[in-house]
Amino acid sequence: MSERLDTFTYDDAIVRKFLVATLIWGFVGMLVGLIIALQLAYPALNLGLPWTSFGRLRPLHTNAVIFAFAGNAFFTGAYYSTQRLLKARMFSDALSQVHFWGWQLIIVAAAVTLPLGLTQAKEYAELEWPIDIAIAVVWVVFAINFFGTIANRRERHLYVAIWFYIASIVTVAILHIFNNLSIPAGLFKSYSIYAGVQDAFMQWWYGHNAVAFFLTTPFLGLMYYFMPKAADRPVFSYRLSILHFWTLVFMYIWAGPHHLHYTALPEWASTLGMLFSIMLWAPSWGGMVNGLLTLRGAWRKVVDDPVLKFFVVAVTAYGMATFEGPMLSIKSVNGLAHYTDWIIAHVHTGALGWNGLLTFGMIYWLLPRLFQTKLHSQKLAEVHFWLATFGMILYAAAIYSAGLTQGLMWRAFDETGRLLFPDFVETTVRLIPMYWLRAVGGTMYLIGTGVCGYNIYKTWASRPARYDEPVIRAAPLSPRYQPDVGPAAGSAWARFVQAKWHRVWERLPVTFTVMTTVAVVVASLFEIIPTFLIRSNVPTIASVKPYTPLELAGRDLYIREGCFNCHSQMVRPFRHETERYGEYSKPGEFVYDHPFLWGSRRIGPDLARVAQVSRPLARPALRQSVADHCQIDDAGLSMAREEPTRLWGDPVAGRRDDHAGRPVRRGGDSSPRSRSAAGRADRRWHRGPGGAERLGRPRGGSGHRLPPTARAGHQTRVLRPIRIAPHPGRR
Amino acid sequence: MRLTDIMSGSGLAFYAEVALIVFFVVFLAVVGWIFLPSRKRELDRASRIPLEEGDPSQPSDRGAGR
Repeated sequence: MSERLDTFTYDDAIVRKFLVATLIWGFVGMLVGLIIALQLAYPALNLGLPWTSFGRLRPLHTNAVIFAFAGNAFFTGAYYSTQRLLKARMFSDALSQVHFWGWQLIIVAAAVTLPLGLTQAKEYAELEWPIDIAIAVVWVVFAINFFGTIANRRERHLYVAIWFYIASIVTVAILHIFNNLSIPAGLFKSYSIYAGVQDAFMQWWYGHNAVAFFLTTPFLGLMYYFMPKAADRPVFSYRLSILHFWTLVFMYIWAGPHHLHYTALPEWASTLGMLFSIMLWAPSWGGMVNGLLTLRGAWRKVVDDPVLKFFVVAVTAYGMATFEGPMLSIKSVNGLAHYTDWIIAHVHTGALGWNGLLTFGMIYWLLPRLFQTKLHSQKLAEVHFWLATFGMILYAAAIYSAGLTQGLMWRAFDETGRLLFPDFVETTVRLIPMYWLRAVGGTMYLIGTGVCGYNIYKTWASRPARYDEPVIRAAPLSPRYQPDVGPAAGSAWARFVQAKWHRVWERLPVTFTVMTTVAVVVASLFEIIPTFLIRSNVPTIASVKPYTPLELAGRDLYIREGCFNCHSQMVRPFRHETERYGEYSKPGEFVYDHPFLWGSRRIGPDLARVAQVSRPLARPALRQSVADHCQIDDAGLSMAREEPTRLWGDPVAGRRDDHAGRPVRRGGDSSPRSRSAAGRADRRWHRGPGGAERLGRPRGGSGHRLPPTARAGHQTRVLRPIRIAPHPGRR
Repeated sequence: MRLTDIMSGSGLAFYAEVALIVFFVVFLAVVGWIFLPSRKRELDRASRIPLEEGDPSQPSDRGAGR
């Protein structure tokens, strides 16, 4: 054994930076969330401006809380714990700085471009291609810094938290790159290289694994480090944590298709996604139990220590969310819950509970250590804890009720077999009290975050004039690794069972990383390749032709205004859906959709068959109500004429006037329908109290008109007869 | 002949089921090796890594292996 000891210090300045960024962006992201929550309860709060409309702000909220708040929280914890677990300073201080400032710049770029309507229309991957490239570069910088630190480590065994970080870093890179492959069309616009079903498949392979490898595994790494630290005892079962790790890595990657149940995705893929999701139940709960039992014999501490309080509720929320996730992935449950607020409630149990509270617990634990002083106020931390916990419960309870209410209303039939609530807006108006309640819960949570910010500020203010930098001494790893176990003995089977091969392997980060990558990639390929390459998965429909330039311009407007945030274009094969929206959607209909625009939440009705002439909506009332808020005035129509010309020359000559099957309408008041109660509610929903005329502005508007060209697009498309083939997924 | 023709003709559809079984077997293997009694001492040591802060008085590494 070498007697020479290295001396070094840990870089805590970078941790302090990330911590402050976490709180600032967390507050901003949650504030935007509160604003759009209030917009749902009181639509006038969209201010009638395109930049502040729901369709553009919703992606800003999701990106801010996921990548800015949770992202910075992960970096805070990872930079703190990695150095200590590996007994090495970060590989390069310069790379740490590039990582920090690069990530904050990306967040600022997102905060500017999303309200401007620059979006790829894929959930949690909305940012346009130049920003995507920047993300990839910064992520690689982080990876180099992280793996460099591993190379310099002075602790042979990689603690399980490090495994979770490795899996997160590698997988997020793969997901990000493959889902964002697109063809740029100018600096601020791109089109996904995948189309229709395949695009949807890639998106939810990404979307689900963003939840897995950006919001779950990094935070589990944090849990496995900070929970033992706060409880001052090792994790309940290290074996269980290893099992937790490998099962998550092997299973999570498969689960994506459960976001696409009953859509045009082939049924085998959706069943596979469901099976793996249900299997995830076990490791997730194993992880929760492991976290909670770490407190064995220390439960008394929970009474006095706000840090442990945050951790206990966070880990419990992890358990609740991961119980609910597999449940929601079961097809029949999903049939009720999908497109409703239930999903929003599920996500917020995870985000507010698991990610949020774990982050805050970690922050309170770090504050005295990073700023080398006492936490300003233990009492305010307690206040924060109760505000956050009750805020989250209020939020979730309200929005669970909203989801169930709407899901049940959509599928309710009366005794004569007709839809009980044929007007979509009836199901929306019913939710408004719950939306207010949700906003109250969200406000409490936000105030809690503000209290935390104050506590951080006061703690920072009482920091010492100079931070003490303790010098750590540790022996370097010997250049040649000598295993602590002798060569394996006995028969081949006995040697295998001694598992020395794996013990060696655990200490080899490169091999380890490669194996993790293989697990992720193999699973992805098994699932993805057949969808892409086997023709029978996407039967073609002869009458479906590429979009005309005019239709494409309509799709661009639909994307810019974020219509997909509230409207689906995917009719599921349920009777209540075909009654309400028309014929169910087939995979072959979407082969020219770059990107797919199926949507994931119906705040408004499905639009796949809107304004269809050959196959009118089953309920004329709904058709009328949709038409009511798709007002077009002369300016709108002139925009429709101008945009394709600007983009593609003048390809639509001779077609301009006849694609609008209905005369262009001005204001909603001429329609008898619009005088009805539902019509009024409908107008209120989409325009705020200002009324129809506010929509007349040529380019702005409330962001809520269905773009005229998109409507025209629907019309020309459906004029072609669609041959209805049996749905391939449902033989 | 295009790639999709080859792939469609090669009967890959059942691969998903194969993968499901392969992954389940891997899962059982993972369970098997982490519960080997011979690993207990080492894993107990590993679980204490976070609690060691690199205290100068207690050199934490075992350079030559461990």
